[in-house]
Order: sequence, then C-alpha cells, then structure tokens
Amino acid sequence: MSRKVKDNILNIITYIASAFSVVVLGAIVIYLVSNGLKLIDIHLLTSDYNVATENAAVVETYEYEKPSKHDGIYSEVWGIGFKDIETKHKTKEIAVTYVDEKSPFNHLYSLVAGNNDKEVNIETESIVKNMYYLDDAGNKIFLSKVMMKDASNLVKILDNDAKSIVSINYQSMGGGIRGSLITTLYLILVSLLIALPIGISSAIYLEEYASKSKINSLIKQGIDTLSGVPSIIYGLMGVSVLFPITKLFGATSTSILLGGLTLAIILLPTIISSTKEALLVVPQSLRDGSLSLGATKSQTIFKVVLPSCINGILTGVLLSIGRVIGESAALIYTTSTVINDFPTLLSQGTSLSLMIWSIMSGEQPNFELASAISLIILVIVLIINLSVKFIGKKFTKSFN
Amino acid sequence: MVIDKKRVKQNKTIDKIFKYLFMAMAILSASFIVIIVLFVFSKGISPFLPGYEHGQVDFISFICGSIYRQDEGIYGVGFIIINTLISAFFALILSFPISVLTALFITKIAPKALSVIMQNVTELLASVPSIVYGVFASGVITKMVNNLAASFGVSTYGGSSLLAVVLLLAIMIFPTLTSMSITAINAVDKDLENASLALGATRTQTNFKVVLISAKSGIFAGAILGLGRAFGEATAVAMVAGNKMFGPTFNPFDITRTLTSTMLAGLKETTGLDYDIRFSVGLVLIVVIFLSNYVLNLVKKRVGNNA
Repeated sequence: MSRKVKDNILNIITYIASAFSVVVLGAIVIYLVSNGLKLIDIHLLTSDYNVATENAAVVETYEYEKPSKHDGIYSEVWGIGFKDIETKHKTKEIAVTYVDEKSPFNHLYSLVAGNNDKEVNIETESIVKNMYYLDDAGNKIFLSKVMMKDASNLVKILDNDAKSIVSINYQSMGGGIRGSLITTLYLILVSLLIALPIGISSAIYLEEYASKSKINSLIKQGIDTLSGVPSIIYGLMGVSVLFPITKLFGATSTSILLGGLTLAIILLPTIISSTKEALLVVPQSLRDGSLSLGATKSQTIFKVVLPSCINGILTGVLLSIGRVIGESAALIYTTSTVINDFPTLLSQGTSLSLMIWSIMSGEQPNFELASAISLIILVIVLIINLSVKFIGKKFTKSFN
Repeated sequence: MVIDKKRVKQNKTIDKIFKYLFMAMAILSASFIVIIVLFVFSKGISPFLPGYEHGQVDFISFICGSIYRQDEGIYGVGFIIINTLISAFFALILSFPISVLTALFITKIAPKALSVIMQNVTELLASVPSIVYGVFASGVITKMVNNLAASFGVSTYGGSSLLAVVLLLAIMIFPTLTSMSITAINAVDKDLENASLALGATRTQTNFKVVLISAKSGIFAGAILGLGRAFGEATAVAMVAGNKMFGPTFNPFDITRTLTSTMLAGLKETTGLDYDIRFSVGLVLIVVIFLSNYVLNLVKKRVGNNA
C-alpha cells in the first residue's frame, strides 16, 4: 500500500512539474493578448512609426455632399470630417475622420522645408494643429487650437467664415509598424538569398560527396560548433568582418544589408541540418537508378536527389524565416536600433523584434505596442511551427 | 549506340566543377566559426596591447575589476563574470528538475493525448523569440519580483533584479533541457525497463530509478547546452538586468549585470574604446562558454562512467 502511495505522489509531482510550462505559455499569451490585441488593426500594419508634422497648403475649392455613411462631424463645404479624440497624454485633440476624394484637403502640397511642392495626403486619424484661412474680406486669419475648440466648432468656422483655406498644419498619428515589416521582409530576402545556396551546397557535399577524411570531419565539426555560438557574438562578427563588404556596395553605416548578411551566417547551421536530414531519407535506390541510366553525378543530384528533398529544404526555409523574425541581439549591432519608416537596403532600420527592443529600451517603455508586435511575431511563429509539422507529415508519407 | 566522347568529357568536367563548388561552399560554411573566433579575438585583445589608439587598458584590472562605468572610462568585468555565472547556474538549478520531470511525464507517464499536447507546448516555448520573453519578463516577472520583494519589505528598481534574470533564464532554457531529456529518455534500452519490471518494480519505480538513471548522461548533455544558452542570452536579459555598475550581486532583489547586458548597454557610437571594449567582453563571453563546456564535459564523463 505504501508503495502505491509513494508511486502516486511521484506521478503527481511530474504532473505538477509539467503544468509549469503550460502556465508559463498561458501567462505569456494572456499578457500579450490583454496588452497588445487592442492595438492590432490595419492602421498599425500600414502606418509610419514616427510622427510627421506636415504644414500643407490647399490648392482649390469645391462644394461637396456629405457621404451617406459618415457619422462624425462633417463639413459639406470642404468635404472633410472631424472628430474629438483624447490622446494617450490625455490632451483633447481634433482628428480627421474622412476626406472626400475631391476635397481641397485631398490636394495638398507640403510647405515643410526640403519637401517643397511635394504632394502629401492627409491620413485619417491625423491630428489638426492649426489652420490659416481667408475670410470674405480677404484677410488671412490664423485658426489656433484654442480657437478651433472642438470638431463641431471647427466645422462651423470653416463653413461660415472661411472663403478659402491657405494652409493646414497636422500631425500623423504614428505608432505604426509598416517600416519594420518592410525591413523584416528585406532581412528575410537577403539572408535566404545568400544562406540557401551556400547551405544547400554544403549539405550536398557533406551527404553526397564527403568521404570519412580528417578534413571532412573538421568541416562537420565547424558547422556544428556554429550552431552553438550566441547570436550576440554573430553581431560582433557582422560589424567587424562583413561591414567592409557592405561598404563595397555603398553602405556608410550599419545597414539592413549588413544585418541580412550576418543573419545569412546565423541561418547556415539550420539550413544545412534540415537539408542533410532530408538528403538522408532519399532512398539510395533512386540515386543508383539515375546513375545506372547514364546520368552523371551532378545531373543525379540536381534532377533526382534535390527534387525529392524539396520538403526538407522548405522546412529549412520556414525555420530560417522564424529565426530572422525573432533575431534581435545580432541585429542590434548590425542594423542599428533606429526605427525607420522608409527603409532601403543600404539604410538603417529595425526588424519587428528590433523595434520591440527599441521602444522598450527608451525612457518610457511602450508596453502596449511591444505586446502588439510580440503577438504578431508569436502568431507568425505558430503558423511556421504548424507548417513545419504539416510538411514533416507529408514528407514521411511520400517515401513509404 | 554512338558515344559522343566530347560530351562525355564535358559532363565529367561539369561533374568535377560541381564537386569542387560544393566542397568550397562546405569549407566556407565551416570557416565562419574560425573567422568569428579570429576577428573577435583580434579586436577584443586590441585595447590591451601597447600602442592602442584610445589608450591602452590594463588587462589585469579589466579581468579582475569590480567597477564598470562607461561614463568614466573604467572597465572591469571581474564582477560581471561572477554575475553571469551566478544567474546562469541558479537558472539551471531552477529549471533542471522541472524540465527532467516534464520530459519523464511526456515520455512515460502522461496519457497519449496529454503527451502530444505537452510536446507541442514545449516546442512552442522553444520557438518563442527571446525578445518576446523579454517583453513578458519586463511586464510580468518584474512585477512579481517587485511584489515579492515588497512582502519582505525590500524595495527594488522596478523589479529589475538578479531574481528576475534567474526566473527569465530558467523559463528560456526549459525547452532545451526538456527536449534533450526526452531524447535521452527515449534512447534508454527497453530491455533495462523490462528487466526492472520483471523483477517486480512498479512502473513508477522503474521510471525514476532505472530510466532516469540510465538517461543521466544525455540529460547532463542537455544541461550543458542549456547553460551555454543561459550565458549567451542577450536581449531579454538586458531588459530586466538593470545594469549595475559595480558588484558582484548576491542579493536576489538587487540589480545585476551580465556579460551580454554589458555588451548591449548604451550602444551608440561605432568607434572608440567604449565600442572596442565590447569585443573584449564578447571574447570573455566566448571563453566563459568554452571553459564551462569543457569543465562540465569532464564532469559528464565521470557521471557517465559511474553509471
């Protein structure tokens, strides 16, 4: 009897131990959802992070009908809708809700120095700071925030007093992650473009050619060791070894290209090992068949072996994408932590993970945005995990 | 059949070209580890050499120093090494029993459906990026630590503390430890188990006294791997470490500073001593990981021999 009790106690302990991981995963998901979910919408994905203040002039005037579905306060004379909002800093502001296609506010050109005559669009949710308009007598009148008071008062002034509008000063809402999304895509593209050919070739050499020599076991050991290197060390290597290479392409500082190159090296062990595993499963009879039909070894590899392990390569690609999206330490050194809304290959920028680092390491960490981005990353990782499983299942079926 | 000799020759050359191309790529992949070590070593060692452009740093005071102040140009990493070791070892001590028991649960004890679910949970935890753990840690773990400290009547720096780092690292190395333990347990010879059962031991006794003991070498290998992870973990740790300027830190509610958090702290310029010294810290990190691996592998051999 006491043996049974003892056994039960031990078993219950293992139940409790494994409950820990469920609790941790649950806590992470609940925390991220409760903090970040409300931020996730199309605006988050498509808008800039940095707040842009635009001072724009209005070109011409028309008369407009109120759109049927608009529920805010709307100026029929100017074809623009406003609403009162409260910002995160608890100040009352007037935000743009709707701009008619033909409204003069849809034909703005920038007055910001260095941006002269560039056409700009007033995004919805932008905050109106102030305006200049001409009244009936042709006097130029400044409409400050205090004079605007609220949305309905602003519309009243615009509809009754303004003859034409000279300029509007507004501020985009910001806080979006479009730039980081694009940067992440750049990083995935660059790193895969470089890591895939090198990684697949290395795996082919190790599985199809390499004999059991000392050099080959050294090569294997080198690649195995690579997977144990902390990513922050890769970052150090990136700036010291790869930076001169990106300089040849015209990079003057750390850049997305440099981050991509560094990531390519980080990805190598992943791609090599998943390709190797897939090569191992390809039956030897396939190779023998191809060779005995007169194909050369390289023909066999490219036309028989590689097509039959495409699933393994795909798994490698998916895992790599997950790694790129999640990587942060190496990129802090190589792509900088400056959130860039208009990234190019040679500019600095942040991936999604780096953006989290950037907004969390400032004076006032933005937990909500960080949670929202984390949630997005987590969903992508989940999808990748499921796809890898799905591919794995199909894969084992295909040779049985 | 006519054999086109020219074509045969051509094919042979193509074959050779590809063979050497593949070989070159493999050598390139393997050489990166050499490149990494060489460059980090040469850049990391440069501040200690005479004639260093930003003023030579004394190696002994760097490696034994107990003050690290970027603003005053005092760089001593001795206490940082101790902090790194402390946080990683305590994380391992916390995480080890839980992950081994979880592994045993998944492989031997749980009903099939539950085992599959648990396996998926572990895999998902393994694929959560470190920055997400960082957000979780600075949002949840720090609050927990803060409340705990308050119940002891101790105040913390917003929860950033040695304890927060330990808890975070324990969570982060859990998937590694668990999956390595699962592999080790699955590799245990079925005959051993059957023999134990045939001798009258219960399933549970067999699991704990035969299976776990026979798998200890593999489980230990997992612990070594997990410790390496804990040493090298950077962004998440940097978010809750707090970066103390002197040390070492033994109080769990006090802020701490690890090698990786030091490398990330206040990174702004890309030249000068403050930048170059990060390579030296990175070099120290590599040495710490290498040495701990070496020592633990020696221990592992002993453990394995006694089995």
